Amino acid sequence: MPEADARLVTEILGLLRQPVFFRDVLLAARDQPYRAILHAWSEIRSHHALARDELGRYWLEKQ
Amino acid sequence: MAEGGANEDFRTMLARMERDGHLRRVKKSIRPEHITALCGKAPAAIMCEAVAGYDIPVVGGLYWTRPRTASALGWREGELGARFAAGVSRPIAPETVNTGACQEIVITGDDVDLTVLPIPFMHERDGAPYISAGVAFANDPQLGPNAGCYRLMFRTQREMGIDLFTASDLRRYYQAALDKNKPLPVAVAIGVHVFEHMAAAYKAPAGLNEMHIAGGLRGEPLWMVRGKTVDVMVPANAEIVLEGELLPNGWTADEGPFGEFAGMQGDLKYNPLFRVTAITHRKNPIFYALQMPWENDWLNGPATEAACARILGLAGIQVAAVRATEGGCCGWSIVAAIKKRAGEGKNAVAALLSLPVVKQVIVTDDDINIYNSDEVEWAVTFRCQADKDIVILSGMKGKHVDPSVRPWDLGPGELPTTSKFGIDATIPEGIPAFRYERIVPAFQAGIRAEDYL
Repeated sequence: MPEADARLVTEILGLLRQPVFFRDVLLAARDQPYRAILHAWSEIRSHHALARDELGRYWLEKQ
Repeated sequence: MAEGGANEDFRTMLARMERDGHLRRVKKSIRPEHITALCGKAPAAIMCEAVAGYDIPVVGGLYWTRPRTASALGWREGELGARFAAGVSRPIAPETVNTGACQEIVITGDDVDLTVLPIPFMHERDGAPYISAGVAFANDPQLGPNAGCYRLMFRTQREMGIDLFTASDLRRYYQAALDKNKPLPVAVAIGVHVFEHMAAAYKAPAGLNEMHIAGGLRGEPLWMVRGKTVDVMVPANAEIVLEGELLPNGWTADEGPFGEFAGMQGDLKYNPLFRVTAITHRKNPIFYALQMPWENDWLNGPATEAACARILGLAGIQVAAVRATEGGCCGWSIVAAIKKRAGEGKNAVAALLSLPVVKQVIVTDDDINIYNSDEVEWAVTFRCQADKDIVILSGMKGKHVDPSVRPWDLGPGELPTTSKFGIDATIPEGIPAFRYERIVPAFQAGIRAEDYL
């Protein structure tokens, strides 16, 4: 299984310091291949706890 | 039997739609997150042949309108409800085959990676990319096989959230497994023929295998094959199948929001997880991205029209035509034309409003073409007196998805109620029919526009 791009993971983690919609993730990484974004998202969901609000926004839960 | 011979498959259905002018091919490269916007702007369903970063084409918008749905089914537009009712009335059991095209390629173990599929991000406020066209298959020791339509949200390369929030047979099967703290084996088929998709969307009574109804719609047994890693039967000619299990995590994993069937962005929910153990597919598979809300609605439209015709029949009313309208998401709003006897306009309104989902009704005489909104409006305008012919019923069963019932004010487990209304737009009793005689252009039958224009 291909590994996620570490730089892209870091970039998205930075974005998740505040509440964002998934659309915002795609927009921030729009110069990246879609599949690479999903790989990075998979990596983040596997190793980080994400909080959600009722609108559906995500952010990193404080560890 | 449908065109294409025995067990017409998804791609044969697409070929018919293309011949009928209801499907166009898009050669230009497109990113997956742009496909839904293009589907909404296209005059026909689209097959995106060059999805950036993928070698799997994506098709969407297949059942966006009545004409497209009719083309997919190979039926005439006006007979959707009647043909559906006929199929339901004569179920045919599936036939088990040893090999299926859906297993021409089999990916298992560490090689399973959902990102090989061009799962699109669809709506501005969705929680993640979604598989919107999944038909889930499962077994229960007592109730037997079941199929239903469930959305799946991408989470990781092997896990998806599945919406089991509302009551369903799969939810019941899952709850039974959860009570034993065991996973439930499930297979999700993507890219099945409209017969299987429509049967799976139909709210069949528990214990009735929806694929028997699919056989009834086909007029022949559906071919099914056993999964490679789960003991679950799936349509042998499906484009793609995800095999796996619903984990016994209960309703704990965030899922949603997603653009829902009523045309509004849904809520964030907490749902079970689907862990994928195998991806099987045809050679050169086609990924189907069902577009909300109309495709979802049209999968239910024929069943709604069939239910309306049935309940009018039970009320002793002669039905000329029934139409589940697009604006009412093919379920909430009904227009029916009847051969009326005295009082039956309001009998028809009452009968139709007794159906759980139907919220507004217009009943006309059978001289009105109910597929023409102008004609329906004309009937309402000139055959209806608001103080006599509008029926309002209060305190009836409602749906959470309808914001006008204020579902957020309900307590846990409390069900919403709603008011409903119907318009009796039939010629009022006591007014002779000649008062409604239509104007007819002189010598109409003998004049052909093409001879002059």
